[in-house]
Amino acid sequence: MTSTEPLVRWDWVLGHADEIWQRLLEHVTLALLAVGIGFALSFALALLVRRYRRLRTPVTRLAGVLYTIPSLALFSLLVPVTGLTPLTAEIGLVSYTLLILIRSVLDGLQSVPAEVRETAVGMGYTPWHLLWRVEIPLAIPVIVGGLRVATVTTIGLVTVTALIGEGGFGYFILQGMQRFYTTPLIVGATLSVALAILADGLLVLTQRWVTPWARPRGKPA
Amino acid sequence: MTATASPDPSTAASDPPQVAPPARVRGAVVEFRHVTVRYAVDRHGSPAALDDLTLVVSPGEICVLVGPSGCGKTTTLRLVNRLLEPTSGQVLIDGQDVAGLDPVLLRRRVGYVIQQIGLFPHQTIAENVGTVPRLLKWPSDRIRRRVDELLALIGLDPPRMRERYPAQLSGGERQRIGVARALAAEPPLLLMDEPFAAVDPIVRERLQDEFLRLQRTLGTTVLFVTHDVDEAIKLATRVAVMRQGGRLAQFSPPGELLAFPADEYVARFLGADRTLKRLTVMAAGDLIRWGTPADGAPTGDAMPTVSAIAPARDALTAMLTSSARAVVLTDAAGRRLAVATLNTIAAALAAPGALPAPPATAAASGAAPLGRRRDPSGGEP
Repeated sequence: MTSTEPLVRWDWVLGHADEIWQRLLEHVTLALLAVGIGFALSFALALLVRRYRRLRTPVTRLAGVLYTIPSLALFSLLVPVTGLTPLTAEIGLVSYTLLILIRSVLDGLQSVPAEVRETAVGMGYTPWHLLWRVEIPLAIPVIVGGLRVATVTTIGLVTVTALIGEGGFGYFILQGMQRFYTTPLIVGATLSVALAILADGLLVLTQRWVTPWARPRGKPA
Repeated sequence: MTATASPDPSTAASDPPQVAPPARVRGAVVEFRHVTVRYAVDRHGSPAALDDLTLVVSPGEICVLVGPSGCGKTTTLRLVNRLLEPTSGQVLIDGQDVAGLDPVLLRRRVGYVIQQIGLFPHQTIAENVGTVPRLLKWPSDRIRRRVDELLALIGLDPPRMRERYPAQLSGGERQRIGVARALAAEPPLLLMDEPFAAVDPIVRERLQDEFLRLQRTLGTTVLFVTHDVDEAIKLATRVAVMRQGGRLAQFSPPGELLAFPADEYVARFLGADRTLKRLTVMAAGDLIRWGTPADGAPTGDAMPTVSAIAPARDALTAMLTSSARAVVLTDAAGRRLAVATLNTIAAALAAPGALPAPPATAAASGAAPLGRRRDPSGGEP
């Protein structure tokens, strides 16, 4: 690499438009699947923990341990078992969402004011009604908060799965590193960050849309 | 700050919406039979939260449970809709032991209002008010009509309020919505736990007046918990004074309670000014037969006139500030009925005949005897 070499060669970008599109789809799929499956698992686990309180410590501790495993190590450990497949990537990615998502679901349900629960029960809500019509809707802001962190983290983490043949934009980053070629590295990193910001923004908008009551609105005089 | 206290002019000015007057409900009878509640603190006989309570609340009555904190008044309330189960004894609604009823179905039949109200923040006012009808699977157009009827009944303009969220309302408005929500499915019984304690005194007074008017319109039986003696006296058909350890100290109509406290505890609880409080539950008209004829009495500033339906306390106030230390009592048409002086008031207070009518007849007729309560709005038909 000489000093005359520009950081980003735009002809490379134009020449690889198709591949960039492919990697975008891959990146989005990997991240979406991970957050989706992670959320479903976390939601079920959180409800289970609420029902059987003594499960709380083991469940959150396990999620905490998973969260601390270095991602490189986790993927390397999984390869002998599940191979160089998207499954390997998803197992790792999903594991990293659990801690944040279980916590946010539990915290969200906890954030429902006691008097709201008291009157709901006092007016004849069954536990099922209470959960689905009162507690979960009111937990949405906190849950979405957790989803935002999990989504942004996962989108970043997807790039690491390039090491096991997946990776979305991570593929370009790896390519750049291996060939000492800055263009794909910068393009991959920039697009990954842009995707994370976009996803975060979409989640914020979705939350505003589904929680109209939390929108700051002036009191008509 | 003033937004809470001052009546909203747009609400006040709007015509009453075109809804039929709400149907009266048949108020429920609530009976406590030797009810004791012990929270299991330790096995060596934890102190009772409620100790052998026996009490019958008549249909259409407002029974106010009053006492210091820890006297078991909230416990008593929560037994009725089975948010709590008694350790022993029975609670009956219309003769049915609540222990034999499905708690969820029972709660849908009994209105419930608590101090913090607990409106659902994620639902509009219309959805909040329609909660119990929705649980009871009323058809949606019937729920809609009922919601509008209730909003109009509590003096809130339905088109303006329906689609708002609780966060957009003032404290007083939220309180009224809480009451409307509890009344939505026309319950024969309403449980209220310090419903007006969290609002400022001016709003509280208005809410109390509105509530009295509403209750008289509907005929719902009400069990009402408060720690405020004045509120109890103002609202109650009968007051149940409770004491530490969950024991009932006295259960009497306000006038009787103030005139004849059962013991030292009740007298102290009612306060040193209980004679003055008696004058608030007594009508100025009750002074007439102890007064002197009004013929030839001076008119004008020397002897102000007081309406017979005003509280006797108003007569006293007018007397103290008039030069003649006397007032002329008048009827609704302004006819002069009698002259009352400080001695008249003293005589009325000393006479057993000044006591209000027995509560049973008052409750059965659904109407408060003259002077039992202040006329809340001045516009009562």
